Amino acid sequence: MEHDRRRFLKSSGIALSAIVGGEMLRVSPRSAQAAALPYQILTEEEVATLQGLAEAIVPGAREGGISHYIDKQLAAAAPNCLLMLKYLGVPFEDYIGFYRGGLRSADRLARLRFSLSWSMLSAEQAQTLLVEMSGNTPLQWDGPPAPFFFFVLRADSSDVVYGTEQGFERIGMPYMAHIEPAQAW
Amino acid sequence: MQRISTDEVFDVLVVGSGAAGSVIAAQAARAGKRVLVLESGPARQMSDLVSSQLWARRLKWSGAPVEEAGNLPIGHNFNAGWGTGGSALHQFAVWPRLHENDFKLKSDYGRGLDWPIEYDDLRPYYDRVQTEVGISGDARAEKWRPPGQKYPMAPLPVFAQGRLIDKGFVAQGMTTAPIPVAINSENYRGRKACLYDGWCDAGCPIGALANPLATYLAWALEAGAEIRNRATVVKILHDISGRIATGVEYCDADGARHTVRASTVVLAAFAVQNARLLLASASERHPHGLSNKNDLVGRYLMTHPANSIYGLFSDETQPHLGPTGGQLINHDHYLQKEKGKAFGSYQWLIANALKPNDLLGIANTRPDIYGAALNDFMRKAASHMGNMVFVGEDLALAENRIELSEHKDDYGVPLARATHNILDPTALLCDAAVAQGLAVFKSAGAAQPWAGPRIGMHIMGGTVMGENAASSVTNQYGRLHELDNLFIAGPGLFPSSGAVNPTFTIHALALRTADHILGSDMPSNPA
Repeated sequence: MEHDRRRFLKSSGIALSAIVGGEMLRVSPRSAQAAALPYQILTEEEVATLQGLAEAIVPGAREGGISHYIDKQLAAAAPNCLLMLKYLGVPFEDYIGFYRGGLRSADRLARLRFSLSWSMLSAEQAQTLLVEMSGNTPLQWDGPPAPFFFFVLRADSSDVVYGTEQGFERIGMPYMAHIEPAQAW
Repeated sequence: MQRISTDEVFDVLVVGSGAAGSVIAAQAARAGKRVLVLESGPARQMSDLVSSQLWARRLKWSGAPVEEAGNLPIGHNFNAGWGTGGSALHQFAVWPRLHENDFKLKSDYGRGLDWPIEYDDLRPYYDRVQTEVGISGDARAEKWRPPGQKYPMAPLPVFAQGRLIDKGFVAQGMTTAPIPVAINSENYRGRKACLYDGWCDAGCPIGALANPLATYLAWALEAGAEIRNRATVVKILHDISGRIATGVEYCDADGARHTVRASTVVLAAFAVQNARLLLASASERHPHGLSNKNDLVGRYLMTHPANSIYGLFSDETQPHLGPTGGQLINHDHYLQKEKGKAFGSYQWLIANALKPNDLLGIANTRPDIYGAALNDFMRKAASHMGNMVFVGEDLALAENRIELSEHKDDYGVPLARATHNILDPTALLCDAAVAQGLAVFKSAGAAQPWAGPRIGMHIMGGTVMGENAASSVTNQYGRLHELDNLFIAGPGLFPSSGAVNPTFTIHALALRTADHILGSDMPSNPA
């Protein structure tokens, strides 16, 4: 074998490009999140719900930049969109509505059950609602089927948390890139 | 819309740059023919194949949507490729041959369809492709293998995951062999050896895996073939008699329409798009679509039903190592297709390399785990997980078909609607195999093995070959029964699915078609 030809990556030099004030910035997803880079598609409320929901499903998703990831992919042209949704029978033109409907319904569920927005739920409250929405579509839900939305968001969050060089390192799996991705996504 | 008619005339026009199209283009160009390849997707270079399951999604279908229905959808967007190299750019390069009993389903078992050829007709082409491309494996260890030349390269190494699962097969009285793969175990004809890093799905940028950029497409371009990307064929043109294809109309990236002419036209745009193009090219002479007098275009659509088996082992498995397609193979139950109420051959692809994310990644194997428990599972699975994949035979059913939708793409061409159902004999085959797989994993030491959902793997049929126009769309060389110089290449020709990965057979069949077009057919089963 020729493993000596390979670089085992230890750095976390993942870069996310973003245009801020007309200038292209290359920052890590973590930095994008920390710097509160502007969103192109998602509203503030949607970002708050998405971050709370994704973090409850896959810890680390918020810090990993789930909201910037989803937002960037929703703003992309179809051939450049990296969302796993492309494998799951949802037409590209429905992607934004898919996420909007799911996030809106999840937030509504939180308000109905606990009189709080999703982003204000305790960890215990969030887990209670995840059990509900991952098993069946609640009566008050008007987005995509709740278990399907849960599955997709869980997969997206796994992409962000585990699918990068940092994510591999997190679970102790060697990345072993042939060609390192210049950006995480 | 801008319309550009040109005087360009080619000897051979190939629609699609995947496995089948690349073989045809290479052979025609080597023979001195003027060859044009029209590829709907963008240009791809080896340097585009970055190691990431996120970026790998760019290689999957992003063309006109395919509407899907049925109890086992074909999973078009996951199975089909996008860009130069087509689906073969992300193939896992598992290259077993079809077996001798895969060719006469109707005659031998009273089910499905017969091929118009037999294994012996294809055997010399398997051997030729194998020599040109290189396959690593151990022919003798594959006790079920049909006759053919031994592999030119030694098998790939078996890592901890493969060795562990193999114990389960042995305990169950079953046999494994090194998996035959079009991946180099050593440097082969100028291409490098594999590094066993499991990034096959993201595309192999070192050329160890035989994707078209490393093999036939590269050879086609070297021999003078031209490829045009972002060139979406919207119609196949024919003469006033309806018997002779004269060329195609295609749209470029800016939407301008072009017409090119050719002496021979080959559709190699994968199973669904080939059928869609024939149906969408209806004319006065062919009112129901080209060569569709008997309403057979689009029918007999197939996909291999597949289930994964997973388990956590106390020993370390190093699941990141090895090829994505697996380290070992089992065909113990391939030759006997009749299994009580169940029907079909099947194979096990054993110890596939795993990545943490994506549709087939570790995280998605247990969608019921989330929250804090997920990280614990991921850390454990990253070093202790094992898996293998059941690949089952599908039956050719006339009602499983590709039709035109009422919806249209950006160029005004109706979308494809693909309906695919499996019947009880196939479902029972899957159920029995899953039970067997779980037993193997328990015997191998996995404490609580589990099975993933049934999915559709590979796409075949839709433009099947056969003896005559009453039962098929093309003849044994892929030539349409109703047009003299229009050929189909690719898995759409398969009248039966077998239960092996189709890419090797696609290459062999395309080479046979190329020989026929170029007038150098090989004899069957040479001594």
